[in-house]
Amino acid sequence: MLNTLTRHPDEAAPQGVHEPTLTQLPAHVEELRRTAREFAQQRLRPAVQRLDQAPAADFDWELVAEAHALGLTRLVIPRQLGGLGYGELGVAVALEELAAVDAGFALIIGATMLGQAPILLSGDPRIQSRFLPLFAGDDPVLACNAITEDLAGCDLLIPDNAPHAVGVMSARRDGDEYVLSGAKKFITNGKVANYATTFANVDGHGGATGLTCFVVPLDSPGITRGDVADKMGYRSCLGTELLFDEVRVPAENMIGGEGGGVHINIAQMDMARAAVAAISTGVARGALELAIAWCGDRTQGGVKLWQHQFTARKLAEMTAKVDAARLLYLKAAHLADTEVPAPAYEPAVAKLFADRIAIEVATEAMGLMGARGYVRDWGMEKYVREALGARIYEGTPEVLALAITASMYDEGDDDF
Amino acid sequence: MPAFTTKDQAVDVFTELFEILLNDATFSRIVREENLSAHFVHTKPDLEIFVDSDGVRIDDVPYAAALKIKMSCDTADSLWAGRLLMPIAVAMGKIRIKGSVAKVLEFVPLLHPAFDRYPGIATAAGVGGAH
Repeated sequence: MLNTLTRHPDEAAPQGVHEPTLTQLPAHVEELRRTAREFAQQRLRPAVQRLDQAPAADFDWELVAEAHALGLTRLVIPRQLGGLGYGELGVAVALEELAAVDAGFALIIGATMLGQAPILLSGDPRIQSRFLPLFAGDDPVLACNAITEDLAGCDLLIPDNAPHAVGVMSARRDGDEYVLSGAKKFITNGKVANYATTFANVDGHGGATGLTCFVVPLDSPGITRGDVADKMGYRSCLGTELLFDEVRVPAENMIGGEGGGVHINIAQMDMARAAVAAISTGVARGALELAIAWCGDRTQGGVKLWQHQFTARKLAEMTAKVDAARLLYLKAAHLADTEVPAPAYEPAVAKLFADRIAIEVATEAMGLMGARGYVRDWGMEKYVREALGARIYEGTPEVLALAITASMYDEGDDDF
Repeated sequence: MPAFTTKDQAVDVFTELFEILLNDATFSRIVREENLSAHFVHTKPDLEIFVDSDGVRIDDVPYAAALKIKMSCDTADSLWAGRLLMPIAVAMGKIRIKGSVAKVLEFVPLLHPAFDRYPGIATAAGVGGAH
């Protein structure tokens, strides 16, 4: 029986261990890590192969309900709204544990937090009290963030690209409502979420220069949840098209005002990237752990594989990369927990590095296992497929590079 | 033209505003129970406001607050007057906060009672941006 996370983070922390150090996480984050690890190892791992090989549209609500019961879907929600009040550090640590077993399941939780983020950022108690307590009920509730479109991907993520965006979902003001029309694509949790934080361009603004964020319940008339994408990895979470046909949304569901969507989206990404870096770190760790087990068990030339110098060198490089990736995401998450706005540089660096080393580590780990690394039964090839996924979402390497270099050349106010 | 023409004008307005908040039952209870404190660093004109359950202090910082919040007085005026929304001000870097973001997420919604009162206070004090 796994323990539900209910304790106040401050109460869970022993004296003097509220802040992370270079070698120690706060006590309440350690408790969260243990809970997430036990869930991942005991409940998720036995289901991994089934989830991976099931048809694209299959979804395991039972496992989601268990994660919800533990509190994993409400980690970042303030306690007065029924959440657990964990910060980005806790979220990232939990997602590494889930991703070390199944990156897709980690993304179900991560995408829900992405859909919670604009509501948290709003600072508006009215909209917060309408949507955030949903996650504290007995039944599992998921959210999603709907920004990507067929013709506009990075054009919606890079402010300088906004004037050039084409075919963007439109929002038209009509009295006390906005009317949304258009389509979103590859929306994680779109098929199963209760609501979507949805970005649409307000009529009269070119490209995506009027991009605006709305909270849209997905049972609203005019919404169709489209086909599920048949992905090469992350198969336990569902990426879906969302079609909006004259969907009426109350004006009070708008976050950040008309045209504020670009800023909301950037703030969201700066908050989320440390968590995605943690997912990539988890994928790399999962592949490394399989390789360590294999190289410790397999004998060739009369000695264990790990005792061969070439193999030892590979394992050593792999573990150094995983450790480095973890330190980068922990630093980024800690900063995201202690600075508003969250910094752009550290989360982007953490994600850029973790995404790259996940591919390197998983590929090397597959090679160490030989043919067994390439067949499905052993689970290694799944890590290779999933390592490639994080390069796509929440910022490609190219988008991250732009964010990183913009920070390098930024001459902002450093006296605070 | 800046919203506040003198420091004294800004001191009067923000002191009254935070005293209103501290008289709000929910705000004062949560500030006390959660041991919340906020240190506002305002610029142009420069002044520092310290708020905790003991009251409002100007240019007197008795201890390191849980939250340190920096913004110009013009930004503060736009924010309290409702012309600038909090998430946009934060995303654009017009407001910078250091401290526990979990505390920020708890603290910001508590400020809402003051938004309704600010325009009246600012107008009475002759603040430029309120007109």
